[in-house]
Amino acid sequence: MSNVIGIIRALNSGVKHLAVKRFTLRYPEQKLKFVGDGFQFNPETGVGIAGLRGRHILFHEHCTGCQLCSVACEGIAEAISMVKIHETWKHNKKAIMPQIDYGKCVFCGLCVDACPFYALYMTNDYELSSFTKSALIYTPAQLAIKPNISQDVEIKISDRGASHG
Amino acid sequence: MTTQLPPGMHLETVDDKIMTLNVGPQHPGSGHMRLIIKVDGDYIVSCDPDPGYVHRGEEKMAEYRNYIQNIPHLERPVIHDSSNILYPYCLGVEELLGIEVPERAKYIRVIAAELNRCIYILYWLAIYGIFLGHSTMFMWPAGDRELFIDLLEAMSGARVTHAYLVPGGVRNDLPSNFEERCLRQVEYFEKRLKEYEAIFYQNPLLKARTEGSGILSRTDAIRLGTTGSVLRASGVDFDVRKKEPYDVYENLDFQTIVMKEGDSYARSRIPYLEMFESCRIIKDALKKMPKSGSVRTKLKPNPKGGNDEVYRRVESGRGAIGYYIVSNNRPEPYRVKISVGSFRNLICMPYLLKGEKLGNMPAVYWGLNYWPVEADR
Repeated sequence: MSNVIGIIRALNSGVKHLAVKRFTLRYPEQKLKFVGDGFQFNPETGVGIAGLRGRHILFHEHCTGCQLCSVACEGIAEAISMVKIHETWKHNKKAIMPQIDYGKCVFCGLCVDACPFYALYMTNDYELSSFTKSALIYTPAQLAIKPNISQDVEIKISDRGASHG
Repeated sequence: MTTQLPPGMHLETVDDKIMTLNVGPQHPGSGHMRLIIKVDGDYIVSCDPDPGYVHRGEEKMAEYRNYIQNIPHLERPVIHDSSNILYPYCLGVEELLGIEVPERAKYIRVIAAELNRCIYILYWLAIYGIFLGHSTMFMWPAGDRELFIDLLEAMSGARVTHAYLVPGGVRNDLPSNFEERCLRQVEYFEKRLKEYEAIFYQNPLLKARTEGSGILSRTDAIRLGTTGSVLRASGVDFDVRKKEPYDVYENLDFQTIVMKEGDSYARSRIPYLEMFESCRIIKDALKKMPKSGSVRTKLKPNPKGGNDEVYRRVESGRGAIGYYIVSNNRPEPYRVKISVGSFRNLICMPYLLKGEKLGNMPAVYWGLNYWPVEADR
């Protein structure tokens, strides 16, 4: 008898959820909202600023071509290589800037921690799929573009359960 | 015709009644591993676990990278418990390099570790449910896991491989209004957890399959060197967080869950009850945490450890994880040895499966909290 009661109780707790709103995020139409503009780092205090670790953004006006990001990536993903750029900057005599291969990058963000010149940050852009491997290699010019993202859905918790928007 | 066998090799005598089954080495829910099981009808005669399919040489890799570069790859063995597997490494390196950790960072690390423990246990519970054919118990924990993944994403910036804990503290401070959001989601999750009780743990079908199967006695549990929830399910009160408190665990209010039965049911229930304790720890840590202050001690570039060695361990979702680190005045460690709970719990599998029905094998196997990828390192 206790077995029957147990099974009824188990079924009942499942049936209650028929009326509960679906938790799943309807992804391409809805996108989850993140904190801030992405992971950033303050080299003066040595502490980062919370944010999503997505695709990088490179500020050409700050990058000195010191290669510290590339050195930091050695032994982790080896995704960063320094390439020649056709721009003239007073602070970048060697005219080299990082180029990132997102086929290799693990998004650990230790390159951002390594940059002492506020030149490399990460953004909220995580949609990096492409049809070819070579399209995953982002040149310094591509990295300089600020991503255009619309993310608006947050987790909502009510008496009837949690849902995404 | 008799063939001459090379010296040292012999043919196995085969009993017609005994059949050998290879479970794996394809992915049985967690990572590549194989169980060589001999069955007599429906009953298991012997079991020989065969790990090593996902060995990645993490320990050797750690000898070629400096103390910071080791962080992303050392969390790879258990990506959904990544804060806990990095925790002893950070504690060890801090001791080697003589770094002081700010008070706020210690609390943040505890919160990250407990959130991650919940993520791990929910994933484990989801697979446990589907192993026993309970698909609702797969969907619910997998959905509720999102709550914690979103919290850790806000904290660290990554959904799974966080690389958040570093020697000297954490990578970044908490985002604004994190405390409020964390408290709201954890409280909601506690309410949800209570629903698991009726649908899964008090379910007569689960009880019939797991109660009294794969019994591990208290003395055997100690003798075989098991750890974590397997040890506590056999009635041994051992939790590294209580016995050797690290960071701020001694200031926090929680209990060790111990059960005496030592069967599959107790082993499946202990992680579930531990999630309530994790929620308690998170809420307590949020209350006691200093509201402002530094979260990371600045390191010198390429820090060098002296001629020293250190061993630190923490309690992870699968038991104690220990790191033994030797340094020799170089930026890279000389040797990193990782001792994990998964591998130690694997040892008792042949003992537990002997005489069990083949149908109970998934319940016993998954209740051991064995994670192939972590066991192989």
